[in-house]
Amino acid sequence: MKKHPGLFLHGGFMAKNVSQKKVDIDIGDGAAIPTKDDKGLVSAWRLSFIGAVAAFLYLIIFHQEPYLRIVKFIPDGVLVTFEVTFASISLALVIGLITGLGRISSNKYINLVASTYVEVVRGIPLLVQLFYLYYALGQFVLVPDILAAILAMSFCYGAYMGEVFRAGIEAIDPGQSEASMSLGFNSRQTMFYVILPQALRTILPPVGNEFIALLKDTSLVSILAVSDLLRRGREFASESFMYFETYTMIAIVYLIITLILSKLVGMMEERMGSYGQR
Amino acid sequence: MFKKIALIVLAATLAFSFTICPLQAEAKEVVITFATDATWPPMEFVDANKNIVGFSIDYMTAAGKEAGFTPKFMAVAWDGIFAGLDVTKYDAISSSVSITEERKKVMDFSEPYFQVRQALIVEKDSTVKDLKELVGKKVGSQISTTGTFAVKAVDGVISKTYDEVGLAIEDLYNGRIAAVVCDDPVAANYALQNDKYKSALKISAVIEGGEAEYYGIAVKKGNQEVLDLINKGIQAVKAKGLDKEFQKKWIGQ
Repeated sequence: MKKHPGLFLHGGFMAKNVSQKKVDIDIGDGAAIPTKDDKGLVSAWRLSFIGAVAAFLYLIIFHQEPYLRIVKFIPDGVLVTFEVTFASISLALVIGLITGLGRISSNKYINLVASTYVEVVRGIPLLVQLFYLYYALGQFVLVPDILAAILAMSFCYGAYMGEVFRAGIEAIDPGQSEASMSLGFNSRQTMFYVILPQALRTILPPVGNEFIALLKDTSLVSILAVSDLLRRGREFASESFMYFETYTMIAIVYLIITLILSKLVGMMEERMGSYGQR
Repeated sequence: MFKKIALIVLAATLAFSFTICPLQAEAKEVVITFATDATWPPMEFVDANKNIVGFSIDYMTAAGKEAGFTPKFMAVAWDGIFAGLDVTKYDAISSSVSITEERKKVMDFSEPYFQVRQALIVEKDSTVKDLKELVGKKVGSQISTTGTFAVKAVDGVISKTYDEVGLAIEDLYNGRIAAVVCDDPVAANYALQNDKYKSALKISAVIEGGEAEYYGIAVKKGNQEVLDLINKGIQAVKAKGLDKEFQKKWIGQ
């Protein structure tokens, strides 16, 4: 088992509280994460995964025309999808951490700024934000299309991440910071050496979940003329007129990617869950 | 409690009446539903009053009057407009569809009603006169239009496709791409008439792709009945010289 970075304060007077606290951060639009506790979902995961891979192989082997042609057309789109996803999630994590800290800040101005950012971003559909950042910002600063997409995605997901960080931090027992303070740490040290490392355990699973949600949402960037997986599919479909075949393939590819990722997140969740709680 | 129920009932009634509104009783006369991607000024676009207007709208309305059918226009996004024809969501497409060999394989076309060529739009101070000069640069066009085909036909030019030609023009205006290729009346509308763009953009060349392109009305393969009606209308409009009028009204040449 991996050891946690940072300190975990074992004080007799608080250990009971810590071990009892069951934290569950549930965020809406990610994938269904198969964990050991949820037997139904695990078999559903197996069924979908085997089904998707079987369908994929069946189509490209026995119906080479047009499916093989479609599969050969989309790899660079898959790459762009991953590029946008990884870059956005990394940036969103940074924005999220800052926002999360801002949201629990006792400084009322910082708190207001962070809270307003979350409020505004959560109130605007991602599609509208993408259009806005791409075309409205284009009037003032010129950013390349992929970068514009990444900025817009991370700007939006940064707000969601902020909420995840906030919830994760707030879920840590106040006794932890009290103990830390009593040991002579100042509030900054308390946050970074004591609270955050522990919060990471509850934060990481929803972050993984958000990662999957973000990967799916990157399909929206296809409207920005970014050649992601969906756009490659649309280009193929509208030139070959094989809409059904193309979107079948695109859906299967998305599904396979998300299923693999949700399995990974599920595995991570189990590891995190077993630490210090059982 | 009663108040709550009354409110819910009221809301449900309202929602219901809104959804039922568009489903009007069917008229006796022949109605042909045309799908149109109304983002292609001056051929078909949405005016300030949210009506779908333009050259081809006038054309088909006149054709309907001549041949005895009532055209109904339906705004449909270009990307996927041919798919809707296949599953008969509408009877025909009147959306500046150029007649190409590939398209002819999967749909039937009326006789041509308008001739276009592909125009190259660049920034005003650009010296580019030919697509071949743009090797290694990004050139925009609306997804799977004949403009895209023209861009892809030149090796080394990076094709960038947009959902709407207007978005491509905006990206050119903002400097993200080097040029846009689209049908010449549309190019003229943006680069010569549009207040925002006419001072920044110009049409630098008309791409000679060998043959001229013709717009036709697309119908589902084998839908002879609708095709005959439309053809009858187009012929009558041409015979009366109405098409020249529309051209003057919308395109100005």
